[in-house]
Amino acid sequence: MIVAENLTRVYTMGRVEVHALAGVSLEVAKGEFVGIMGASGSGKSTLLHILGLLDRPTSGSVTIDGVDVLALSDHQRTLFRLNRLGYVFQDYALIGELTALENVYLTSLVRGAPKDEYIERSADILRQVGLGGRTDHRQSELSGGEQQRVAIARALMNNPSILLADEPCANLDSQTSKSILDLFARLNEELDQTILMVSHEEWHKEYFCRVVTLRDGVIGDMVECRKM
Amino acid sequence: MSAVFSGIKASTFLAWKSIQRGNRGTLALTIMIIALILVNLVFLPSIISGVVVTFDTQSIDFDLGNLVVEPREGSQYIEDVAVLQRKIERIPGIVGTSPRIAAGVTYSYRGRIAASTLYGITPEDERSVTKIADRMIAGEFLSNGDTDAIVMGTTLAGREGEEAGGLPSLQGVVVGDSVEVAYPNGERRTYRVKGIYETQSFSVDTAAFVTGREMSGVLGLDDQASMILVKTGVSGREDAYKRELLSYGVQEEVRTFREKSGGFVDQAVQSFNIINTISTLVSLIIAIVVVFIVIFINTVNRRRQIGILKAIGIGQQIIINSYILQVLFITTVGAIAGIGLTAGVTTYLTAYPLVFPGGPVYPDVEVSAVLQSVASLFAVSVAAGYIPAWQIVREDILSAIRG
Ligand SMILES: Nc1ncnc2c1ncn2[C@@H]1O[C@H](COP(=O)(O)OP(=O)(O)O)[C@@H](O)[C@H]1O
Ligand SMILES: [Mg+2]
Repeated sequence: MIVAENLTRVYTMGRVEVHALAGVSLEVAKGEFVGIMGASGSGKSTLLHILGLLDRPTSGSVTIDGVDVLALSDHQRTLFRLNRLGYVFQDYALIGELTALENVYLTSLVRGAPKDEYIERSADILRQVGLGGRTDHRQSELSGGEQQRVAIARALMNNPSILLADEPCANLDSQTSKSILDLFARLNEELDQTILMVSHEEWHKEYFCRVVTLRDGVIGDMVECRKM
Repeated sequence: MSAVFSGIKASTFLAWKSIQRGNRGTLALTIMIIALILVNLVFLPSIISGVVVTFDTQSIDFDLGNLVVEPREGSQYIEDVAVLQRKIERIPGIVGTSPRIAAGVTYSYRGRIAASTLYGITPEDERSVTKIADRMIAGEFLSNGDTDAIVMGTTLAGREGEEAGGLPSLQGVVVGDSVEVAYPNGERRTYRVKGIYETQSFSVDTAAFVTGREMSGVLGLDDQASMILVKTGVSGREDAYKRELLSYGVQEEVRTFREKSGGFVDQAVQSFNIINTISTLVSLIIAIVVVFIVIFINTVNRRRQIGILKAIGIGQQIIINSYILQVLFITTVGAIAGIGLTAGVTTYLTAYPLVFPGGPVYPDVEVSAVLQSVASLFAVSVAAGYIPAWQIVREDILSAIRG
């Protein structure tokens, strides 16, 4: 459960102030699949960074699962990301020196899980995202869609309470995009996974429970699309 | 506690993958530089210490023994030599004494003239202190009864047609030749060359020996000597033996071979140590710079990767430690390679030693010096690796990921 209130984010560039977010309030319930849409520059990524604990708002408050995440120290926020959040970047952001399997289990290793357990689980998740035969491939040996699925598997590894994805399909063709969205939909339906996904593709809307549209740093409108 | 442990495991994992899958060439080059730095750190001190060892053993074995007893203040000779000799030899730990009469003489041989020190010795006593008799390259050493025989150093004997670069040389004396000696009191004697020795200590190789009986006759001495060389059972404890001699009531001047050589070694060692300190500092600075650059480039190239690691919840300390572990790996392999190289160079220089004026110098690698060098190498490497890793890791996540 996410409760964000009155978030603002101001970037100061020299004498110019950019209000990337100008007062956004949003609640996301457990098990929701929320799409954040809007034109380029409307503040989608900025919002997701703040909710994903990668950035701090200029003002406002964020509570995730009852934790005031803005009150946490940087180290506590790192641990919060590790234990509670899964983040999928637009450009996959895999570690090039690691194989698909290693990328996926790294966070579990950091959490101190036993080796057989994390190897088995990461192989299992890779199978679920359709990469059962690619576990030992490195980033350079995988297609864009495959890399993105490794990134999703990595984000799922620690059973995150929220999966955040910033335009995960932006660099993929429509067929691969569809397979990714299908995967998200399945995770959402079968595992009740809470998902917050940024997109600017109209056809993605059919996958979301709710669409939040940003316009110049504020919520333009909020539409229930699909029955939960 | 388990968080610390899994953190170390994660750092090790990241470090090892980075070593395994990073740039092999850079890794090999860095390891080689570390190895060479270690060789440099160990090698120069080992040569310096080798010079000291050589000087000491050469002095003890061929020139002075461990201790030198000299006439009291104001006298030219030690009197009652035989009694004094027996007194010294009774002291526990003393294994031999050799009285010597010294005279500055001029040698003439086939119209060639050279000046150096001629010693009058008791051959049997001399054998109990120095090893000159073991270093004959031609003929034989003196016997107690010899009167018309002389043995001389290879430099003094010289070689036909070769000047010895300012050192006294008769240019080609061989065993059996006759050499005329002019003593300081005007007496002249002709001696048959009985043997030629080579010790590689230049002050010894330019000198010559006749029997003490012969020299006493020429100079009109009786039971007198210019010095008594004393050999102790173990070397390196000369100061203690010197006190011992004095406590046994030896009234004459007693000096250790180090004192006798007039602080020459101490001065040389001091100068060497300055050079060594400079060389050590330069080596360590090179190590700092190399490791700093390698880790700096490594971390700068991986700014984005470091950002990603932080974004997915991997703590700064784990990331920094992964770089420290890489440095430790590089330094460990480099140090092992360096020790191997040092062993190679040492083995070579032991087989083919450097030749100094005081004798052949063998590298004297002290384990403590190696350990100290390895320790300082590790210290500077870790420090030099920590700083760039720490700097990059502190960067804001989003700017790091944007690259
Ligand atoms: N680091 C930054 N520095 C300055 N301005 C920024 C920065 N990041 C984003 N912005 C600005 O904030 C606004 C919102 O950006 P962003 O959240 O990335 O938009 P979106 O993801 O919807 O395309 C844009 O005008 C962008 O230029
Ligand atoms: Mg964006």
